[in-house]
Amino acid sequence: MRVRSSVFALVLIVAAAAGWQIAQPLSAQTGAAPKFEVDRLWPKPLPNHWILGSVTGLAVDAQDHIWIVHRGLDSLTQRTEAGLATTPPGSEDCCGPAPPVLEFDAAGTLVGHWGGPGQGYEWPISPGGIEVDAKGNVWITAAGPPDVPVAAPPAAGAGGGTGRAGGGNRAGGAAAPPRPADAHVLKFTRTGQFVLQIGKAGQTGTKDSEASLDRPADVAVDSAANEVYVADGGASQRIVVFDAMTGLPKRHWGGQGTSFTRVSCVALSKDGLVYVCDRNNNRIQVFKKDGTFVKEAFVSKATLLAGSVWDIAFSPDAQQRNLFVADGQDNKIFVLDRAALTEVSNFGGGGGWPGSFRLVGSIGVDSKGNIYTGETFEGKRVQKFVKK
Amino acid sequence: MTNRRNLLIAATFTAVLLVLGVLERTFEREAEAQAQNGLVDAPRFEVDPAFPKPLPNNWQLGETIGVDVDAQDRVWIVHRSDQVVYGETGADQNPPAASCCRRAPPVLAFDQQGNVIKHWGGPGAGYEWPQSNHGIAVDYKGVVWIGGNVGPDSQLLKFTQDGTFITQFGKSGQNKGSNDPENFGRPAKIYVDPKNNEAYIADGYGNKRVVVIDADTGKFKRYWGGYGNKPDDTNFGTYNPDAAPIQQFRTPVHCAMISVDRLVYVCDRPNDRVQVFKEDGTFVKEIFVKKKTLGDGSTWDIAFSKDPQQKYLYLADGKNEKVYILLRETMEFLSSFGDGGRQPGQFFAVHSIAVDSKGNLYTTETYQGRRLQKFVFKGVQKVPRDQGVVWPK
Repeated sequence: MRVRSSVFALVLIVAAAAGWQIAQPLSAQTGAAPKFEVDRLWPKPLPNHWILGSVTGLAVDAQDHIWIVHRGLDSLTQRTEAGLATTPPGSEDCCGPAPPVLEFDAAGTLVGHWGGPGQGYEWPISPGGIEVDAKGNVWITAAGPPDVPVAAPPAAGAGGGTGRAGGGNRAGGAAAPPRPADAHVLKFTRTGQFVLQIGKAGQTGTKDSEASLDRPADVAVDSAANEVYVADGGASQRIVVFDAMTGLPKRHWGGQGTSFTRVSCVALSKDGLVYVCDRNNNRIQVFKKDGTFVKEAFVSKATLLAGSVWDIAFSPDAQQRNLFVADGQDNKIFVLDRAALTEVSNFGGGGGWPGSFRLVGSIGVDSKGNIYTGETFEGKRVQKFVKK
Repeated sequence: MTNRRNLLIAATFTAVLLVLGVLERTFEREAEAQAQNGLVDAPRFEVDPAFPKPLPNNWQLGETIGVDVDAQDRVWIVHRSDQVVYGETGADQNPPAASCCRRAPPVLAFDQQGNVIKHWGGPGAGYEWPQSNHGIAVDYKGVVWIGGNVGPDSQLLKFTQDGTFITQFGKSGQNKGSNDPENFGRPAKIYVDPKNNEAYIADGYGNKRVVVIDADTGKFKRYWGGYGNKPDDTNFGTYNPDAAPIQQFRTPVHCAMISVDRLVYVCDRPNDRVQVFKEDGTFVKEIFVKKKTLGDGSTWDIAFSKDPQQKYLYLADGKNEKVYILLRETMEFLSSFGDGGRQPGQFFAVHSIAVDSKGNLYTTETYQGRRLQKFVFKGVQKVPRDQGVVWPK
């Protein structure tokens, strides 16, 4: 016990030296910044005993509808979590995966659902980001196979022991032959009619190739210029811009200074800047639309493992004064001043209760400034934070 | 004509009443339910989405594998701190990888406001901490009991509420099967009968029996298997809902509790059944619950309602993700609430259940559920058979 206490104390000291607030209360939001409060009862329970898999992407459209894409059965533990999806069913009442693309209204009612394999396109092994453009098209990146959570060394903490009976193993049935890695982006109408596929599964390129993608993580659409920006998050680690109608490549660029280590998002501000999440480097890099580097900033710079900058969103005011960063490793939302790229506040914390997070990986903002988040891996939730 | 027809209706009505009078309560209830448009009288609950408060110290829960409520209405849980996902415990690593999070100590107690007021647990001198924590009970003397369900776990531990070790019954690694008179076989749950100072042990993940011991000395007093038979460690294979029920419990035997009218209720989890016994182990009756449920089964844990008669029995089903409300006397199903998911009032592997003095229910979730939830008792009201996710009205 004494040894453990000493380790705890050491952790506290080191963490304090690194500038972290270890005991950050959920409600603590410092500085002159917008205040948010979790809506504990949003969204409404899904129908049909549907449950969410790991949520990989979230977007808010022009009507303030919230769109998510999740991994579905592939990320659910069939034996313990998705009994209705096994053959024969392992349970009588609960549960099965919801369709991969879900659309909620601002009240949290499910108003649309679609997705999955179909004619003329390759549904991803695992989806990545989702975006709804100004014309109402829904873009989804194909980012699988998904990241495997960091393998853990043997635990030294209390409780001891591994390999318990009845653990949460993933019993998937007979192994199917591996599919070629995702390397594409899909465009649908908002009702799920297929429109366009950019790239092809298995045809991954290098960082110099014109068109080939590798597990793209996110998209952003410049509807005025009719261009789609793709966060090409696999081996290439770059931003690639395509014509949003034809899918033809136009330009691409990589990280400034040092390479991107994990391009996990791309977002376009109203004043014409391109924001890129360089997740494992804990940084945001900002470019002009032609790829000219403008500036960069670090967020929670001491964060290790998967890094701190997982996804970003802008405040809805004309100046977009705030930039919100979803940090799935620290399980926090950082509120930045967009111009200065400095932190003005943060909220969140780890846990499965409302307002806390388990790997918050995607974020969006509606026209009223409310924040929506999606949690990946075992988080498997979408949450709403009301702007006060 | 009219008179004769009325007479006929009256006669029919009387006959129906007579028939109803001799029918079992089940049918009576069903008729009543139909008459009330599908509603029945049963306890109604609403989830408290703000309970508990966020844990202090950036603590995270692992598989939350036991819950009980003490005489002061403090809520005790035990969880597997070693099972917190590595990527979610960056602050525990050296050097720290992130501000989030740290493993919470295995035993936590919450006050009625949802604040953590006690925290302890883990290996120590003089006792063998389980390899895999399973089950927590605070007995009528205020003593905290812990079981364990993996590998060599064959022991029960007793602590004071401050975590001071009191005694250990059984020795790790020494289980000799379902007729071992001294050791347990990965015991799942403990319940202490205040009347006779006896502890009822659901034994467990290794053995296939209920054991009753003296709560002070740990001396075995009696034990029995399914239907009151002598326990038999034969491997009966995988549960098949279409086969005849086996005459033994199937592991895990997941709960064993005695009611005020001296009936012992046993969760025979993978057999999807609850068996009821007299306190000497004489079989009384059984019910099957969601009988087509495979794998982990449907009957995970039991709690009794807080009225003096313990009129209702609450049954947690971590596979179908529901809490069932039964009329205890007849074991008739009245209503259920819950569904799968990670939002308040939803469950992933609802594992354990307990009631406080006001009748409020507490649940904990294992696997990746990893939560404690509170369901506020709103009184006995007219409720649907399936209440779904019980959010505050």
